[in-house]
Amino acid sequence: MDDFKEITAGNKPFKKAYVAIMLWFVGRAIQAAARVDKDVKKEFEKLPDGFTFCLGVLPRGPYMIVGKNEKGRVKYMGWKPDGKRIDLDMKIKNIEAAILMFTFQESTAAASARNRMIVDGEVPYVCAIVRVLDIGEVYLLPKFIARLAVKRYPAWSFGRKYIGRVRIYFRSILGY
Amino acid sequence: MYLSGYYEFCCRVKMIAGHDALEKIPGALAQLHAGRPLIITDKGVSGAGLVDTVVDAIKDGIDIGAMADDVPQDSSVKVVNHLADVYRDNNCDSIVAVGGGSVMDTAKGVNIVVSENADDLMKFSGVGVLKKALKPLLVIPTTSGTGSEVTLAAVIKDHERHLKMAFASYFLLPDVAILDSRMTLTLPPFLTASTAMDAMAHAVEAYTGLAKNPMSDANAIAAISLISSNLLNVIKTPSDREGRLALANGATLAGAAFSNSLVGVVHALGHATGSVCGVPHGVCMSILLPYGLEYNMHKRAHFTGELLLPLAGAEVYVGTPKHLRAEGTVAYIRKMNQNMHDATDGRHARFFEEVKDRDGRRMVPREKLEDIAEAALDDGSIVYNPEECDYEDFLMIIRAAWEGAPLDRSLIKGV
Amino acid sequence: MFFPDNYEFYCPVKINSGNRALEHLPVELDALNARKPFIITDKEIAKKGLIKKITGAFKDSGITLGIFDGVPPVPDLKLVRRLMNNYRDTGCDSIIAAGGGAVVDTAKALNIVVSGRPEDLKESAGEDLIKSPLGPFVFVPTASGTGFETSRFATLGGLSFSSHFLMPDLVVIDPRMVTSENADAVVSTAMIALAHSAQSYTCPAKNPMTDTYAYAAMQFVGENLANVVRSGDKKGRLALANAATMAGIAFSNSPRGMVHDLGWAAGDISGLPHGICMGILLPYVLEYNIDSEGYHMSDMLLPIAGFEIYAGTAKNLKARKAINFIYDMQHEIHDITRGNIPLTLKDAGISKDALDGVARAAVGEGRLGFNLDDCMVILEHAWEGKQITSS
Ligand SMILES: [Fe+2]
Repeated sequence: MDDFKEITAGNKPFKKAYVAIMLWFVGRAIQAAARVDKDVKKEFEKLPDGFTFCLGVLPRGPYMIVGKNEKGRVKYMGWKPDGKRIDLDMKIKNIEAAILMFTFQESTAAASARNRMIVDGEVPYVCAIVRVLDIGEVYLLPKFIARLAVKRYPAWSFGRKYIGRVRIYFRSILGY
Repeated sequence: MYLSGYYEFCCRVKMIAGHDALEKIPGALAQLHAGRPLIITDKGVSGAGLVDTVVDAIKDGIDIGAMADDVPQDSSVKVVNHLADVYRDNNCDSIVAVGGGSVMDTAKGVNIVVSENADDLMKFSGVGVLKKALKPLLVIPTTSGTGSEVTLAAVIKDHERHLKMAFASYFLLPDVAILDSRMTLTLPPFLTASTAMDAMAHAVEAYTGLAKNPMSDANAIAAISLISSNLLNVIKTPSDREGRLALANGATLAGAAFSNSLVGVVHALGHATGSVCGVPHGVCMSILLPYGLEYNMHKRAHFTGELLLPLAGAEVYVGTPKHLRAEGTVAYIRKMNQNMHDATDGRHARFFEEVKDRDGRRMVPREKLEDIAEAALDDGSIVYNPEECDYEDFLMIIRAAWEGAPLDRSLIKGV
Repeated sequence: MFFPDNYEFYCPVKINSGNRALEHLPVELDALNARKPFIITDKEIAKKGLIKKITGAFKDSGITLGIFDGVPPVPDLKLVRRLMNNYRDTGCDSIIAAGGGAVVDTAKALNIVVSGRPEDLKESAGEDLIKSPLGPFVFVPTASGTGFETSRFATLGGLSFSSHFLMPDLVVIDPRMVTSENADAVVSTAMIALAHSAQSYTCPAKNPMTDTYAYAAMQFVGENLANVVRSGDKKGRLALANAATMAGIAFSNSPRGMVHDLGWAAGDISGLPHGICMGILLPYVLEYNIDSEGYHMSDMLLPIAGFEIYAGTAKNLKARKAINFIYDMQHEIHDITRGNIPLTLKDAGISKDALDGVARAAVGEGRLGFNLDDCMVILEHAWEGKQITSS
């Protein structure tokens, strides 16, 4: 019967690549912010050494992993979760939901409220990482976008915001 | 009507409610191809004679496989494994849980172990790990508050490994929830008050939170209206069966709302106050609810104002100018608390300073407020709260709620 | 607020609604332990490119899909058997029905046979004869439907089924799927939702759970129908698709009422969409029952007209106001469509002599407490367009 057929759905390589780049940048920016920003530093100090956080997209990536090594330094740990022990696993349910987030049409809070993510891990870790991501967004995004991405745009000093922003961009790209 | 850009809603639990709902349990089990339940409950519930009522109602219809009334206050993996053995040794084919939150959590844990033949519960912890239907689970709540009869989560502690395992899956939802007025008829007035205010907080926070959606809104409105119009009557006349059933329905509707749309700052601070000072959850909710609404008001005035209708009725709503309705809602909830305080000879607390334990000692010393604010930072509910909440914000709210003074809204950041 | 002394309620349906809802399908199927869905639809929908939207949502998931897009207007048992073979041969393990009416009936019947044996279809025709849950079943609505899609009912090849196990596990309402339709289809679908939810909300067997679904459905229709007919408002269309889903759930847990049965019979006789007839009849049936059900009709004013109108209307006038709100809505739609959507059964092309046949068909269908005389009073008023209480 010609009315019935089987098809295998294709791929979305460009959207995946875009999200992969954004994830890479987010990972490196968290690493940088942990050195530059006092609040991010504090959040990570409260997390145990060896802590790992994975942010990724279902069903098959891309992913990024950030963690604290044994010495307590916050490091971007690459894009392959395979075999790593993950303490906090945040999975965006599909690539389109990831695009909504990484084109800033949906904030992290909205995405969680809309059930776009599956979060697995201890609740205090979730709270800490959500705060870190919010701070990261304030650093990385221009105010008119970041205001939509976070619930309350913070009243930071000029130095913290603009000098911090330059330092974090610089370190994210160079990776130290 | 508020239609969010994207939402999900699901309340897959079959509801059986009424003054003789217990008698329908054998039929409900038969529909699920079961007839030999393990009854799980705790000493408090069985001591109050509630399990006897359940057994009397069902014993002619089915064989009870076994009965266990030793669920502790805090769920534990040891108890879960022990009950799973009882289930197997007695060839049970289903579970009936009678009680509050910890009984339900334990029953859900037992269900995982016996359905998946799990030797280590840990393997099934997390979100969406369960992939198939478990054994039939019926739940009979004995308070009108927590809403755990319709929630898909369970928390079980492993005291030996110092772990708190969380489970979330639609397969953890009970198959049937039984709401029977006999189960809450003997609940003392001050407990009726605080547990109902927990339900009220679920509905209000779901309605004003970030994850609100049309279905949870409909559930929340109905819940608030049922609770508001019956609570004081039931406190004054505890034997009011109709009122009891209305509150039970209200609590379940509120449960359906918040299990889909979650809660916010009231619960974040409430959980923290509970864990730091041991204040019962419902007491925290009664006290904190007006403060949470005040804190979020600059972002949620419209939704908060709408709640005046189910809370206070059409006349009050229409008689209050639009721009004053949100404040009217807060004032109304404060007045409810005051009325319940009066009707319970002061046992229903209005602010934290007056919360006393059984021996009359103050439960929340002022010097603990910083610890509470600190603990609240680790509570996940805050993710769904409309406004950001940092340590200073939490501290400001809990201080006001300790003293009993309304929140000075001019001090809220961003207002 | 009213609630009954006792009630039972069951709704297994999960609702996912809104922007990019389709893309959540792979995760949702995984949660239902399904790996290979069988998509069922008809040529009309496939031609509009809507199936591509669904298959597109599976990109990157690695999932292979079976697709059948040839459901005819009147499907039969032979088709179900054929689809069963396709389903089994290709190792499918779940069903996604895209579209309304016959498509969903076919999907439900298919689910009965693939979850058990082919003989089950005939054996499970009737009331509550399906004994165990069926396989994973997802429904993706488009802009038009019969109101049975999300419900416990199905009919096919002369067999009728009624079981909670026929309700979808998941309804995915995506704005890309509920795009433009002609006004007839939009109004019909919305009026079925309004009629079903209003009936559920006002009937004596109502309960707090059916009320919440009916409440949401009435709210959606009350706020959005006229706008959608006027301007095709995108958010409004999404809201109406939500309404159809909620109403189907309320309908499944309530007795079938007079509006449904009369509207169905009138639709069969006039050849108009059933929902148009239900829409014409709804306010008359409500009026007819205002003495017995007026109390619930007062409450109905809240979802249908909103907070302000509800609170601003005196208690004893609320029921009347709710009915008038529906009359006004009909007139507005009549005007927007320049009279294309009729206001009376007469304009719907039903001759006065045919009313008796409509009444008989409805009473024959119904198992409820209304008789021929009741029906005739309502039909005659609705034919002429004369309000009952003014006569
Ligand atoms: Fe609570």
